[in-house]
Amino acid sequence: MDKKPDVLQGTLALMVLKTLDVLGPLHGYGIARRIEQISGDLLAVNQGTLYPVLLKLEHEGSITSEWGASENNRRARFYQLTRAGHKQLQAETRDWEQTAAIIARFFEVKAEDLS
Amino acid sequence: MRFLRRFLARLANFATRRQNDQRLREEMEEHLAQQTAENLRAGMLPAEARRQAVLKFGAVEAVREDYHAEQGLPFIEGMLQDLRYATRQLAKSPGFAAVAILTIALGIGATTAIFSIVNAVLLRSLPYPEPDRLVKIFFNNPGTESYAVRFSVPELDDLRNRAGVFELVSATARGSVDLTGGSRPQRLEFVVASPNYFSMLGATPQIGRLFGPQDFTPGYSPSVVISDALWHRNFAADPKVLGRSVHLDNDPYTIVGVLPPEFRHPGRASAQDVEVWLTSGFRATTDPPSTRSARSLPQAYGRLKPGVTLAQAQDRLTAMANELRHEYAADYPPEGNWTIEIQPLQEAMVGKIRPTLLVLQGAVILIVFIVSLNIANLLLARASCRQQEMAVRRALGASRGRIVRQMLTESLLLSFMGGAAGIALAVGALRFMMRFIPSTIPRGSEVTVDWAVLSFALLISLLTGLLFGLAPAIHSSKSDLSTAIREGARGSGYSTRSNRLRDALVVSELAIAVVLMVGAGLLLRTLRDLLKENPGFNPTQVVAACVSLPSPNDPKLDPYLTIARQSTFYRELRRRMNAIPGVELAGFVSDLPTTGQPFNFALGIEDRPSKSGEELRAEPIIISPDYFKVMQAPLVRGRYFAEDDQDGKLPVAIVDESTARRYWPDRDPLGRRLRIGQDPTSSWRTIVGIVKDISHDGLDVDGVPHVYISIYQKFDAVQGVVFRDFAIVLRTSLPASILEPQIRHQVQSIDPGLPVYNVTSMSELLDRSLAARRFSAQLVGGFAGLALLLASIGIYGLLAYMVGQRSHEIGLRMALGAGRADILKLILQKGIILAGSGVIAGVILSASTASMMASLLYGVRPRDPAVFLIVPLLLLAVAVLASYIPAWRATKVDPMAALRDA
Repeated sequence: MDKKPDVLQGTLALMVLKTLDVLGPLHGYGIARRIEQISGDLLAVNQGTLYPVLLKLEHEGSITSEWGASENNRRARFYQLTRAGHKQLQAETRDWEQTAAIIARFFEVKAEDLS
Repeated sequence: MRFLRRFLARLANFATRRQNDQRLREEMEEHLAQQTAENLRAGMLPAEARRQAVLKFGAVEAVREDYHAEQGLPFIEGMLQDLRYATRQLAKSPGFAAVAILTIALGIGATTAIFSIVNAVLLRSLPYPEPDRLVKIFFNNPGTESYAVRFSVPELDDLRNRAGVFELVSATARGSVDLTGGSRPQRLEFVVASPNYFSMLGATPQIGRLFGPQDFTPGYSPSVVISDALWHRNFAADPKVLGRSVHLDNDPYTIVGVLPPEFRHPGRASAQDVEVWLTSGFRATTDPPSTRSARSLPQAYGRLKPGVTLAQAQDRLTAMANELRHEYAADYPPEGNWTIEIQPLQEAMVGKIRPTLLVLQGAVILIVFIVSLNIANLLLARASCRQQEMAVRRALGASRGRIVRQMLTESLLLSFMGGAAGIALAVGALRFMMRFIPSTIPRGSEVTVDWAVLSFALLISLLTGLLFGLAPAIHSSKSDLSTAIREGARGSGYSTRSNRLRDALVVSELAIAVVLMVGAGLLLRTLRDLLKENPGFNPTQVVAACVSLPSPNDPKLDPYLTIARQSTFYRELRRRMNAIPGVELAGFVSDLPTTGQPFNFALGIEDRPSKSGEELRAEPIIISPDYFKVMQAPLVRGRYFAEDDQDGKLPVAIVDESTARRYWPDRDPLGRRLRIGQDPTSSWRTIVGIVKDISHDGLDVDGVPHVYISIYQKFDAVQGVVFRDFAIVLRTSLPASILEPQIRHQVQSIDPGLPVYNVTSMSELLDRSLAARRFSAQLVGGFAGLALLLASIGIYGLLAYMVGQRSHEIGLRMALGAGRADILKLILQKGIILAGSGVIAGVILSASTASMMASLLYGVRPRDPAVFLIVPLLLLAVAVLASYIPAWRATKVDPMAALRDA
């Protein structure tokens, strides 16, 4: 069922949270656009995979959703960060930064540094 | 937390079956519309803009599937789906389902029933607080091979004060007493124990109080504690029973307490539970008082101090026994090598029955194995038929794991249905078995179906389900797609790979059946030999009845104090018994054959230089002159006792042949003299006769030497044992039930205070002494029969299936000129090869495991050639018979039809 690696799934969830944090309530297409703009082609062919992730985040209580009107006045589902989601975002951001810093240091290391 | 929340949301969706398709569809629609608009703005043509939007969105079906998976609980949904499908599959072939569930129920029912006995007897901890600290204490003389010998009061004090490992030590003795005062005198089992007995066991009273330090007196305390059963039976559960007086062997006692219904004395199991508890300081009855060598106390129990392990306690006791042997060298002959040993109480209580129960449990587990193999074979056959279905499923994208899961769901459904039926069966079977469970099985009254038993049944169901489901499941998931579809289409699938598996299953089934049958054969042969064994007398047409003369502690209350008074009683009783119409001859004996425990007493032999390390021992049996004539026990030499071998005349004795051989190997014992007990002042008795051996201690016990003494001659209490119990034996053609009222009437018209109990025929007594053996032999025999049946069904099923699958080939062979005999041979050969391999494997397996049963056999070697010859032949014969039916059916194949259908 899950052909995509978990890292990607996790990253996608984090991107959603960050997007909602920065831009406020947004519908699915809006989130997809935003992620596409920033991450390039991560979602280029698979925008649809966003929706199961949104549902999962909603089940976890990190976001809520409600119907609203989109820019062209059609019914659209708007997603919004909850307080729990905000906390989760902060925690995961911290984790990511730590991990990234460690990995980065590893990549900087040259053979002579270790001798 | 987040995970839990997500799970709950999904569970809620799952439970309410909410499939919110609408929302996703609308969102996707909106998403595509926006993307299309965006593309249009970027300058695409409308059709192209829509196409690009859809492409960018990705595979809609995959998204929808992921979305649904996130919405509900796909694993459980899948399982339910499998379950529904499995139920449909079983319902489609009700015959198969019924047979499978029934066999599983048989296997699991038998296992569960036996396990509930094992659980109650061996596994459940004893019903006392902190039972792990309770031990039984044994005193042994390993040097002279006498074990569990009696001990003295100073030795008891050493355990309490010197050993330092016990919190409490209690000495106990057991016996039976006459309870008088009610409508009819009764014989009751009693225990006399140190006052700390109940606090050691941690018992609490139902009403009144139990014994405590205030009850300590050097001799017997006048207080008595009674069982719940006696309270109900004799006192109608009257709470005012406290303070009432009862007479036990004429001595008056006051009831001070009633025990709760579940309390049991932790001693050996017997037909009658202990119902009366007395207490004594054990210091007044020994004479001379309390010397180290006055060993009259039979049993000791102890509670270890908290934190003291069994090994530590044992080390300390071994060291202490060493010290004592040196300090009191005179009291501990060096050749005895006196030691103190402790055993956990649970082990001491159930030790003897453990191998029997383990063999039974092993037997039923083998049955479950056979059942599993049988069902596995049935399922494999079905799996072969469903190969096409599986192939289609896989072609449509089902993963191998998914197919295994589905097949396993089917087999687990079967096994749990069988398990549920099995539990019901076990409850019924247990009720039935408890009627036959011998009273000598300890803790038998505690057998119930409890949570442990139920969990065991569930576990066994799960394991059998996995066991018989796994092979077919893996087999069908492995099948090669293209061949399966092609083969299935052609409809002739006796492919070799699955057949080798099926052959292996049937061979293992036969091998296990052999193991069970060999076990049953050995047990049944032991039983048969014992039944055929000559007990040394003629048990037919003999009726026995037990009577006990009271032995009160107060001599003034004892009407049978002197041998003269006893003789008068016995002569009067003899006259009255012989006068009962239908009685040919009456005799008396102190201890009926095959009942009671063998007693060992020191024996003195005149003019015999005592070799060092040798201990002379014998069991005295007191008889009336006519006893041997009633029992028709043949005299070898000399004479029987006569009526005038009485007190004041020459003291006489009769020995049996093995005693004569053992103690007078090269001399004629007639006219020689012996003496029973260690007291050097007791009188010598002259041997006047030698009789054939009587299996006095049980048919399956290599007995101790016996010395017979006349009932009319004075025989003092030896080592604290008073001979006041005796049995009347009558040679008569009347049944016991008719004689019982007359015997009772005659005994009680001499002394209305004497109870008459256990009136049965001698054959019945012999039979009863083998009850535990019969119980296990017949159960294992039944299981072996079941195994044989299942194994023959297995081999029949395999061959019948093979014939069905190969009918095309058989038709072809016949068309090419093969005769019916050739076809018969072809199939029979297959059956015989299977049976032969199974038998060989089984014989090897049994030969290597039979020695585990050695402790249950008597007079039969674990590798008894007869059993090892008959069992394989029997199994082969049955296997050939089972193969004959399908073979015969194969010859009926119509070549034309077979070829046309193919």
